Amino acid sequence: MGKSKKLLLVHRAMEKISIDESVNIMLSPQFYTLKRESLPVKYAYQAKKIAPSLFEGLLDEQDTHEYAVFKEEEDWIFVAYDIENITAFLSTKGIPLEKIAKIYFAQESAKHFKTPVLLTEKEALVTLDNTVVVMPRAALGEEATFVKFDESFMPNKGGVTIKGGGSSSLLTQQQAYALATIFLLFGAMFIVEGARYGQAKADTAKLQSLYEEYPALESGYTRQGIIDKYRKIDIKERKKRDAIKHISKMIFKGSTLTNLTVNDKTFKARFLCANTTAKKQVKQLAKKSQFNTTTDKAKNSLVVEGAL
Amino acid sequence: MSWQRYQNELIVLGAFLIMLAGYMYKHSHVNAQAQQANQVQQSINEVKEVIALKKIWADKKIAKKVDALQQMAPGSKIRWSKQKQKLEATYTGLNAQELNKLTTKILNLPVVIEQLDVKKNGLLYNVEFKCKW
Repeated sequence: MGKSKKLLLVHRAMEKISIDESVNIMLSPQFYTLKRESLPVKYAYQAKKIAPSLFEGLLDEQDTHEYAVFKEEEDWIFVAYDIENITAFLSTKGIPLEKIAKIYFAQESAKHFKTPVLLTEKEALVTLDNTVVVMPRAALGEEATFVKFDESFMPNKGGVTIKGGGSSSLLTQQQAYALATIFLLFGAMFIVEGARYGQAKADTAKLQSLYEEYPALESGYTRQGIIDKYRKIDIKERKKRDAIKHISKMIFKGSTLTNLTVNDKTFKARFLCANTTAKKQVKQLAKKSQFNTTTDKAKNSLVVEGAL
Repeated sequence: MSWQRYQNELIVLGAFLIMLAGYMYKHSHVNAQAQQANQVQQSINEVKEVIALKKIWADKKIAKKVDALQQMAPGSKIRWSKQKQKLEATYTGLNAQELNKLTTKILNLPVVIEQLDVKKNGLLYNVEFKCKW
């Protein structure tokens, strides 16, 4: 993330700037104290442990310092810096804390400063004896050439991140606020929509008026009891009447009803048919109505029956 | 890891969670309302069904309507016994037309048919009818 961001060279005499996105910072030696040591340690974390003791007596004790360690050829480079002072300075120059992605030290790019970089009309940044220093321009001579500071000065590794900085942030503050506003708007819409989703008032009013008219039916148990009782009767009685209607359709010229019995469980009708054609027709009608037919002992007599 | 490093993401996450909560609220509220509307509709349907069923099968005028069966044939052909909410009627010597009229009337009466016997005797019919209401 950090490497794709703009790299700004920060020095005491810099102009105030305006930035929209988070940036990487390269500090001039004006903001840190450097020591070069050759120590028999293998890893940076081991070197970092001894950093405070190396700077003892060199730093203002009132300031709170942090330390960075990196290797340069055979030597260890120790850097002490006061992050509070640095961020306070950056803030005055229009670089707020949350816009700082990563902080690099000019020493980390010492090889790039072999040709001086002009800081102001009077000062330049240059590497002398492998150490990046701020020098008066006049000391470099009239014929000195300068290079422009750009992203190519970015070290391949190193740098420090600071608490509250924008180094790990995937989003800029503006993007975050825009997204948060959209989400909050949607959230508010959902809440309002949910609260406004009213119940079916017309149905409730209708039910209330029915209860007022039939107060006994307010209880669900009562309703269900009545429904169970009368629905059973309704179904059975409709079956009886349907059966009788179907049987009456079997009465035609050549087919005479001689007997009909209907009770609570079954029905039975006996037909006397004038010929086999009539008998066949009655059978077909009975089959269509899903009734059973049996041929009686008497010739041309047919019994149609069924359960209710 | 300091939360301040990710404060932008945290702001977005917080807003997103609020939106999610809003959505959940709406979803649950709509569901609850729909459930309530279903219950109300079901109650209305039940009340209507009770009213309709009672109108047919618990009609207080059934007793009077049943009396019409006595007019379906001349008095000499009828033996009539009506007690409380029960009827036992016997019709003898009905012609086909009278039988038709009688059965049509019986089918249209909202009574529980306990027994209906129709027997052909020569050209005429005998009917035994028992019902209750």
